[in-house]
Amino acid sequence: MKQLLVVILIWGTWFTQSVWSQDKKSGNFQGTVTTENKAPLIGVDVVLLQTGIGSITNAEGGYKIQNLPEGTYTVQFSYIGFVTQKITVTIKANETVTENISLTEDVTQIDEVTIRGRSKVQTVERQPYTVKAVSAKPFYNLSTDVQSVLGRVEGVKIREEGGLGSNSEFSLFGFSGNQIKFFIDGIPMDNYGSSLGLNTIPVTAIDRIEVYNGVVPVYLGTDALGGAVNIITKQNNNFLDVAYTFGSFNTHRAAVNGAYTNLKTGFTLRGNFNFNYSDNNYEVLADITDANGNIEDTQWVERFHDRYKSGMAKMEAGFVNKTFADQLLIGLTAAKDENDVQTGATMETVYGAIEQNSESLISTLKYSKADLFTEGLDASFYAAYNVTRTFNLDTLTGVRYNWLGDRIYTGNTEGEQGDRNDETMSDNEATTQFNLGYQLNDTHTVSFNHAFQYFNRDVNDILNPDKIENQFPRSYYKNNLGLSYTVSPNDKWNATLFGKGYFLKVETSKQYDFGTGDSRIDAYENSQNSFGYGVATTYFILKNLQIKASYEHTYRMPTPEEVFGDNLFVTANPELGPEQSNNFNANAKWEFEPAEKHYVQLDGSFIYRNASDLIYQRVTVASPQTSYANLAEVRTIGYAGTLNYSFKDWLRLGANVTYQDITDQADFVYNDYSGQQPNFQKGFRIPNIPYLFGNLNAGLQFNDVFTEDSNLSVNYFFNYIKEYYLSWAEYGSKDTKKIIPEQSSHDLAVSYSLKNGKYNISLECKNFTDQMLFDQYKLQKPGRAFYLKLRYAL
Amino acid sequence: MKITRKITAWSLGLMAAVSIMSCSSDDNDDNSGNPDITQKPYVLSLAIQGSEGGFTYYTIPFENVMEGSLTAVGEGIDQPGYYDFTKVDNTLYSIGGLDNTDVSAISQNEDQTLSTEGNVSLSESIRDLVKADDETLISASIAEGAVTFRLFDANTVSITETIAKPTSDLHAATDANPSFSGMRVVGDHVFLSYYMSNPDTWATNYTDQAQVAVYSYPELEFEKVITDDRVGPLGGFNIKSGLEVDEDGNIYAISHSNPANGYSQSTKPAGILKINAGETEFDQSYFFDVEDATGGNNVSHLKYLGNGKAFVEVNTAARAEQGTWSDSPLRSAVVNLNDETVNYIAGVPVHNGNGRRLAALHDGNYVYLCIPEEGGIYVYRMDVDNYTSTKGAEVQANFVAGFFKF
Repeated sequence: MKQLLVVILIWGTWFTQSVWSQDKKSGNFQGTVTTENKAPLIGVDVVLLQTGIGSITNAEGGYKIQNLPEGTYTVQFSYIGFVTQKITVTIKANETVTENISLTEDVTQIDEVTIRGRSKVQTVERQPYTVKAVSAKPFYNLSTDVQSVLGRVEGVKIREEGGLGSNSEFSLFGFSGNQIKFFIDGIPMDNYGSSLGLNTIPVTAIDRIEVYNGVVPVYLGTDALGGAVNIITKQNNNFLDVAYTFGSFNTHRAAVNGAYTNLKTGFTLRGNFNFNYSDNNYEVLADITDANGNIEDTQWVERFHDRYKSGMAKMEAGFVNKTFADQLLIGLTAAKDENDVQTGATMETVYGAIEQNSESLISTLKYSKADLFTEGLDASFYAAYNVTRTFNLDTLTGVRYNWLGDRIYTGNTEGEQGDRNDETMSDNEATTQFNLGYQLNDTHTVSFNHAFQYFNRDVNDILNPDKIENQFPRSYYKNNLGLSYTVSPNDKWNATLFGKGYFLKVETSKQYDFGTGDSRIDAYENSQNSFGYGVATTYFILKNLQIKASYEHTYRMPTPEEVFGDNLFVTANPELGPEQSNNFNANAKWEFEPAEKHYVQLDGSFIYRNASDLIYQRVTVASPQTSYANLAEVRTIGYAGTLNYSFKDWLRLGANVTYQDITDQADFVYNDYSGQQPNFQKGFRIPNIPYLFGNLNAGLQFNDVFTEDSNLSVNYFFNYIKEYYLSWAEYGSKDTKKIIPEQSSHDLAVSYSLKNGKYNISLECKNFTDQMLFDQYKLQKPGRAFYLKLRYAL
Repeated sequence: MKITRKITAWSLGLMAAVSIMSCSSDDNDDNSGNPDITQKPYVLSLAIQGSEGGFTYYTIPFENVMEGSLTAVGEGIDQPGYYDFTKVDNTLYSIGGLDNTDVSAISQNEDQTLSTEGNVSLSESIRDLVKADDETLISASIAEGAVTFRLFDANTVSITETIAKPTSDLHAATDANPSFSGMRVVGDHVFLSYYMSNPDTWATNYTDQAQVAVYSYPELEFEKVITDDRVGPLGGFNIKSGLEVDEDGNIYAISHSNPANGYSQSTKPAGILKINAGETEFDQSYFFDVEDATGGNNVSHLKYLGNGKAFVEVNTAARAEQGTWSDSPLRSAVVNLNDETVNYIAGVPVHNGNGRRLAALHDGNYVYLCIPEEGGIYVYRMDVDNYTSTKGAEVQANFVAGFFKF
C-alpha cells in the first residue's frame, strides 16, 4: 500500500506541474445563467464550440471553465425550453472573463438533447424513464463516498453491516443483490470484487449517479430485474482534485483524480487514485461471554478485529474530439483490499483472526463517435476484461474470541467459521457493450444495443484441495440484445418502445452418481432464452410540469451457482429459469417559483412491481441437500416523494420519503417434509426489509466570508428508518419479536472554500447524537464520528 | 382457533394447586384465584418457512390440540433461525443451531403465557441436551478434533463446566469424523453413540459396527468405546435417537443404517441392542430383530413409554428405495422391547419424517404426533394401549419442532 501512496504522490506532483505549466498561457471564463427574471438556471450546457470544452451550471446557475488557452471563442448556452444563445469571448492569459447570461424561454423548443442524452442531471431526469440523477458536486467537500450519496436517493436503502469497508447490501424498492445491476460509465461492474465496491469510490471521482428504477434503458444492456445504477465519472477535460480525509477510528481516505487534455492534439490522460484505511475500532454494546459461553455482562467494547484497507489506481489514455472518435480511451485499473472480519451474521459470533481480501485488475476500452459515417448515426463500444481474486482466510484453529478479545481455547481443530480454510476464488469476466443510435429526423430515433458477458469462476482451497464443490469451474455466457424506437412528435411528449432479448448459456462439469461405483464427471450445460419489452413515455403538461409513465417486463438470468449448485449439498436444477417481473412506474415532477428567488421542486412517484419465479434455495426440513428453484412471488407497491426548496443561492432544503409495501404473493409453499402447502404468509409483508424511510438535508451557504471568492457552507443531513421485524410481523407475540429498531441519524458538516473552491477544508460530525444504528439485525454501526477533509481542486 | 372458556377437571385440579402455591408465596392473587383463566397445558413449537427459505419458530401454549386449528398468528415466542426443542422435567429448552448457538429455558407462567430465560451464547451448536442428574444437564457437541461436553446448572441455565475430549479416542480413521447420534447418562456414566462420516461429502464409509463411547460422570474421563458388529452404527443424521433409556436404567441402542437418515451405504442388518443398567457393555444375549418383527423394515425413531413399551417410527421402505436424507416414509407403531413385538397404530397414514428429533408428546395412554398429509398437517392422538388413533387439530405451520405438555 505504501508503494501505491508513492505512486499517487509522484503522479499527483507531475500532474500538478503539468497543469501549472499550462496555467501560464491560459485564462478563465465564468459567470451565471439565469432566466429573464433572474432565477438561476441549473444544468445549462455551456460549450465553447471551437474546442468542445464545456461546463454545466450549478445550483446557483454559476459556471466556470478554467485554464482556457488564449484566444477567441464562441460560447453556446443551451437549455431545454429556452432559446439557445451564443456569445463571443476573448480569453487572455491569467485573466478571468465574467459573462452573466439570461436566457429567454421558448416553450416550443424541446430539442433533441433529451434523446442525445447529453450529460447533465436535469437532462437525465427529463428522460421518460423513472430515473434519479444525483449530482456529486454538492458532496465534493464532504467526507463521503459513492455509497453514502446513493443511500440518500429515494427508494434506495443501503444496509451496512458495520464501518468502512464492511459488507453492505444495496436495495432499490426492495430489489437487491443481482436483481439490480451497476455500471460505471456504462460498463457493468457486477463482478468487480469488494476492492471496487461502492464504498471505496470517492465522491470527487464522479460527476453524478443515475438510478434507473424498474425500467432500464436499452443502452445499459443487462438483465436487471429491478433497476440499474450508472455511476458517471468526471468527464472534464482538464482538472485535478486532491482530497484527504482523516477522522475517528483512525480513518484515512485519500483521493487524487485528474485529467489532462491537450486541446490541439486531443490527447488525453486521465487518472483516479484512492486509498482507504480504517481501524473501525468503534464501540459497540456487546454481550461478554466467559470461557464457558455464559453471558456475564453487556458492556461497551471496542471492536478489535475490523481493520480495513483498500487502494485503487486507474489510468486512462487516448484521444477526444477527433474526427475518428469523440472518445477513444484505453484504461487499466488495479485495486486491492484487506478486510479483517469481526463478526458473523450477528454480533453474537465474534471473530479474531478471519480475513477476507481481494484484488482486481480491469482493462477497458471505450470508443464513442457521434455522426459516424452519416449525420445522426451515433456509435459507442465499451469493452472490459477483469480478473478478480477473493481470498478467505480462516486458518486459526482451536480458538474462539469473546468481545474483550480474550482467546478461548476450544480443544477442537476447527477454524472460527467451522472447517478451516484458505480459499481463493478467481473470477474472470469479459464484457462488451455496443450501442448504435440513429436519428432519422427530429421525430424518430432508433437505438440498438448488444451486450455480452462471459464469466468464469474457479475456487481453490489449499487446506482442502479435494473439496468436491470446488473442483468444477463454472462458466457463464450471456448476450443481451436491445432495440428501441423513440418518437417525439412534438415538443411536449416523447415515447420510447423497446424490446430486449436475453440469451444465457452456462457450463460446468458435473459429477454424476456420486458415492456409487458409477461415479463419472461429464460436461453439463444449460441455456435460457427470454424476451422482454417495455414502453416509457413522458409529457410536459406545462414547461415545468412533467409526467412520466413506464413499464417493463424484465428478466434476471440465473447465475451459474444457482443453476449448477455446488455439486454437493446444493444440487443442480436444470429446469431453473430466469426471475421475471412486471415493473410499472408513474411519476410527476413540478418545478415552480412561488415568489421571486424562491425555487420549489416537487417530485412524486408510484411504483408497482410484480416479481415472480424468484430464485431461492428450495426449503428442506429433513435433508441438508437443496437446490435453487423459481419459487417466490413478491409484489411491491411503493410511493416516493421528493421536495426541494431553495432561496436565492444561500438556503437549500431537501427531503424525500419512501414507503414500500412488499408482500409475499405465492399461493403455495413447498418443502420436502410437508410437500405443497398453502402459503401461510400470503399477503403479508416480507420481513427484514425496511418499509418506511426518508432523508432530509438542509444547507446554508455564504459567499465572500472573511475574504473574496470564499464560500462557507453548513450542511445538515438527517436519515430516518422506521423499525421493522426480522421475521414475519403477523406471527409470534409482539414482545418476543426481534426488531431492527427505529433509527434517526444526524450528520453535520461545515465547509470553507477559498479562491472559488480551489482550497477547501471541511469538518464533519456523523451521527452527532451518538445513536445506536443498525441496518441489519444485531450488527451495530459506528456511533458519533468526526472527519476533517482537506481538498485541493483545480 | 376459538378459545373456549370450558375448564376441564384436569385444569381445575392444576388451578387449585396453582392457587395454593400463589397464596403461600403471597403473590398478587388477581390471576391465581381467577377461574376464568383458560388453561393451556399443551405447548407446540411451530416452524413457519419464509419465502426466502428460512424458518422461524413460534412456541405457543394451547388449550386443546384435538379441535380447530393451531396457529401462531399474534402468539408465541419468536425465534428465527434453526431451533431444536427438548423438555427435561418441567422445563422446555430451546437449542439454537447455525448462527444462533444459544440455549434458553422456556417455562409457563400462571397466566399460561410462556417466558424464556437464558444467557448462554456458545461458539458451536450443541447436538443434544439431556438430564445428567437432578441439578445438572449435559450437552454434547462434536467438531473436528474434539467432543465437547458442557454441564449446565438446571436451575440457572448457565454452564458450569466445558470439557473437550479428543475425537481420536473414538476412531482411527483419517477420512471420517464421528457424528453425534445419541447420548444418555445412566448413573456414573455418559454413553455417546456416533457414526463416522466424511467431513466434506458426509459419506459414511464405516458401517460395520455399532459404537458407543463411554465416559465417566461427572468427571467426563474417557473410558472406552464399546462396539457390536451384529448391527451397523447407531442412530442417524440429526434425529438424535441412537440411544434411549428405560425406567430401570437399561439403555436401548437403535441401528438402522438408513439412507433416509444420512447413510451412504449399509453393510449390516438393523436392530435394537441393549446395555443393561449398571453395565458398560452391550448385552450379547439381547437382540431385537426389528427387521424380522416388521417384515424387513426398521425403526428410525424411538421414544420410551414405560413397562418395556416404546413408541417408534418404522421406515417402511427398503434401504435401497429410500430417498437420501428424507427420513421417510414412516409408519407409527408401538414396540414391546421385552417381547420384541411391533403393533402398528391404526388410522395413522404413512407419513414423512422431518429429519429431526421426534416431536412426540407422551401423555398418559396417548402419544401425540403431528402428521403431514396432503393439504395440511394434523395432530394425531394415538392410544398406545389399544393401538388406535384420533385425528385432531390442523396445524398452520410447515412443520412442528416440538410438542410438549406442562
